[in-house]
Amino acid sequence: MRRVLAVLVSALVMAASLFANGGSEAPKASGSGTQKDVTLSVLWFNDGDESEVFKATMQDYLAQHPNIKLDMQIVAYSDYQQKLKMLISGGNPPDVARMSTGDLVALIDTALPLDGYTDVGKVKEEFMPSMLAYAYNREGKVVALPTEATANGMLVNKTAFKNAGIDIDAVSKSWTWADWEKVVKQVIAANPEMKYGLAVDFTPHRFSTILYQNGGHWLNADQTGMEFDNPGSVKMLQWFKRMHDENLIPKSVWLGSENPAELFQAGLVACHIGGSWNVNTYSKNIANFDWGCVRMPKADIRSSVPGGKLLASFKGCAHPQEAVDFMLAAADKQHSEAYDKATKNLGARNDSSIAYDSNTEDFAVFTDELKVTPAVTANEWKNPNFAKVATYAKEQIVQYLLGNIDVQTCVANVDKRGAQYFK
Amino acid sequence: MTQFKKGSKEFWIPYLFLLPNLLIFACFVIVPAVQGLAMACTDWSVFSAPRFVGLSNFVELSRDEVFWTTFRNTIVYSVLTVVCLIAVSLLLALLLSKGSVKGEHGFRAVFYIPSLLSMITVGIAWRFILGDEMGVVNYVLRQWGGEGVHWLTTGNLAMSSIIVVSIWTYAGYYMLIFISGLQAIPGELYEAARVDGAGPWYTFRKITLPMLSPTTLVVSILATISAFKAYELILTMTKGGPGYATKLIVQQVYESAFLEDRMGYASAMAIVLMLMIGAFTLVQFKISKGDGEQ
Amino acid sequence: MSNKNALASKSCISTTIIALLAIITLFPIVWVALSSFKPQSELFQVPMRFLPAHWTLENYIESLGRGDFPRYFANTAIVSVTSTVIAVVINIMAGYALAKYEFPGRRFCFTVMLATLMIPLQVIMIPIFLQLKRLGMLNSLWGIIIPPAATPTGVFLARQYMTTIPDSLVEASRIDGGGEFFTFRRIIVPIAKPIIATIAIFSFMWRWNDYLWPLIVISKQDRQTLQQALATFVGQLQINWSDLLAMTTITIIPVIAVFLAFQNFFMEGVTAGAVKG
Repeated sequence: MRRVLAVLVSALVMAASLFANGGSEAPKASGSGTQKDVTLSVLWFNDGDESEVFKATMQDYLAQHPNIKLDMQIVAYSDYQQKLKMLISGGNPPDVARMSTGDLVALIDTALPLDGYTDVGKVKEEFMPSMLAYAYNREGKVVALPTEATANGMLVNKTAFKNAGIDIDAVSKSWTWADWEKVVKQVIAANPEMKYGLAVDFTPHRFSTILYQNGGHWLNADQTGMEFDNPGSVKMLQWFKRMHDENLIPKSVWLGSENPAELFQAGLVACHIGGSWNVNTYSKNIANFDWGCVRMPKADIRSSVPGGKLLASFKGCAHPQEAVDFMLAAADKQHSEAYDKATKNLGARNDSSIAYDSNTEDFAVFTDELKVTPAVTANEWKNPNFAKVATYAKEQIVQYLLGNIDVQTCVANVDKRGAQYFK
Repeated sequence: MTQFKKGSKEFWIPYLFLLPNLLIFACFVIVPAVQGLAMACTDWSVFSAPRFVGLSNFVELSRDEVFWTTFRNTIVYSVLTVVCLIAVSLLLALLLSKGSVKGEHGFRAVFYIPSLLSMITVGIAWRFILGDEMGVVNYVLRQWGGEGVHWLTTGNLAMSSIIVVSIWTYAGYYMLIFISGLQAIPGELYEAARVDGAGPWYTFRKITLPMLSPTTLVVSILATISAFKAYELILTMTKGGPGYATKLIVQQVYESAFLEDRMGYASAMAIVLMLMIGAFTLVQFKISKGDGEQ
Repeated sequence: MSNKNALASKSCISTTIIALLAIITLFPIVWVALSSFKPQSELFQVPMRFLPAHWTLENYIESLGRGDFPRYFANTAIVSVTSTVIAVVINIMAGYALAKYEFPGRRFCFTVMLATLMIPLQVIMIPIFLQLKRLGMLNSLWGIIIPPAATPTGVFLARQYMTTIPDSLVEASRIDGGGEFFTFRRIIVPIAKPIIATIAIFSFMWRWNDYLWPLIVISKQDRQTLQQALATFVGQLQINWSDLLAMTTITIIPVIAVFLAFQNFFMEGVTAGAVKG
């Protein structure tokens, strides 16, 4: 009995100690002497070899600032957010971290506001509004600097279209999804190896591209609650299911999480709604057919969804001033252009003009898509409450595609689940 | 079993044997575990102070449809996996420990290799094999004029595929445990049985199985625990899909904790999961006591 | 004579079955290994090919040149070996105590050990991190060597094995005047060789493939382990197939080597010992 009591008491004490630790620690006083030796801890994740490119790009900065050293750690993306949460809750946040828009949204309250460390007014003018949208925290302060932008767009197998006698460049100048459906059926018919018309990445983010085109949305107009139950979203869902049922979209992507980029590379699908990063992969990997980016068909409107990566620092990090200076340098015109060029990403600055080594027209198509994209898209995707319901929404969409629930239940479930985060 | 009197010099000896393990254990697992699981009674996102909410996480859990789906999936997956795993690994162990197969050691290594792979590797390897469009099996089937099979895209098949891959991954591992158990059975017993003219099936039932029962218990408990905690393999193969068809509790725990930022709720789920595993383990101990220790 | 023939044909049948199973078992791994010699453009090409159409070492050259792989390799090897040695010693000791002594708290210790095995590590990662920080073990290889060495699985395996050792052996040694630790070292350890080999093999493999502990403990690139580096090839939006396949193939080799070495070293002579016991 005494032993049980002892265990209980010690458990309580331990729990109490954690409670005391749970709160965020006060930021340490920042050293003002800029010339002291500083090792900036940088947390990074890779899609390809961005870490190497980044280090190479920043070489000149480090040469000019011999007191600054980088301690860069690369963590797998799948556990990146978890790692950051551990470091931050343990009071050891990195000085600088590469952030995907999704991760930044999730950690926005812990990111270091840049005012006080630099002239934020100037920063606000430099970056594309759709990227800057992600950089604001709940109080409206800028907490991150975009390094690269991405956009969703359509990549097509040009050879397949040519085999069907279709001039895809001409047709796609102005086309609707109804036009697309007619055309793509001809393409499938003309190419024996081709089985499907369209692959859409298995993420709510890429799904949203066509959702927004149909006038749909996830949140209400002032972003205070869920509103997935709206005519545009329902229309999109029904179209999406019909495409699956008619085998124009391969089931294996949304039901079996097969990688659509692989299907496209194998020549099994005519079009791929994916992000600008695919240009990089495809230009390296596709050898036996001709491919390119074309303007996406429109439904009610034209739209893409902006995304990208940013650099952020965190409250309570060891070297906030040096971190912000370093981030500003990395995101300035010269460095970001060099970095975006080498990593084949879109520029995130208003004054970016990147001379890519190849695929210039393809990147132009993506940039063009971003320009017609309404602001609501970024505003929804930077909402931290919406971010929490995204996985559930994805599962509910699959439930609807499987025929386990009807479309009304699907949208209602998502709204209900989301409502608990908008309290 | 040896027992020392309280107060005797030797009384502390068993504790000394246990000490290093217990010390490390208490420091790095038990203390954090108590802290983590205590959060089940709180509303806690990583960056805010936990707020005590009593049992409301558990009440919400009982009404959470997705949780119950994952609960059912977890039981189906675990029971099927454990039963098949024991059968397959025991069979392999029997075949590969009697010297009746040429190249015994080489074969042992072959069956053990899959369990040496990291889960990322297993996932990649099997997606190459079972993928709907890009999988080797479906490709071959289509070449022969057949239809592709939806290994990973229809509910029941996806679950079966996951189970098969789990068995593929772990059979060699449990085979090794069985082999070490088989080697501990004194050879005289078999000798005596042979002299008595017992057939192989009789020998297996009356000598091998009973003598092996401590090992069988280890295998079934370890297999049960790891099946209930299966996570990475499923994530790399189906992401829990299609829909919820292969989603298990641990994935839900992870999503609640890190995607929805609800640490308290995730801890509550973890506690339910632990209770489930505990119950299954207890039953296994009881069964093994019942028929094992004659 | 006919009996011998029957035996031979039985052995033939089981060898065939085993060989078939072995081929099925190896197929996915061979596919991965062969894919690592394919150029990027061939990976997702239809018609599929088992053997690469153009063999290339490009993937290996590229991935070995990236990052600091010899360092990660060395770290992983140091961690795996050290942790395995510690794990074998302390797990065998604990298993012995739980199997061969009756003392207050025995059942409690055993139950707690098994129970911790049941906790999904995901919910206790942050408390573990805080604890390691308190103990000053963050960013040190010791942080991934010591904590995981006390594996409940290892203790459990050891305990179950020890329960099959007859008590009379321990008694006999005691009557001969052997102290408790002498008995353990001279009598128990030699008999326990199969389980020692098993725990050593498992422990090495766990540490070699360990992903979660390094994720929690290590935040310095030069203390990184292979599995950590391997996982970074799966990005947010893209998978770096060429590096991933090549590195995967390379990382498998040492574990297989260790397994083969240990299997021959221990398991061979053990059968004889067990029969005597």
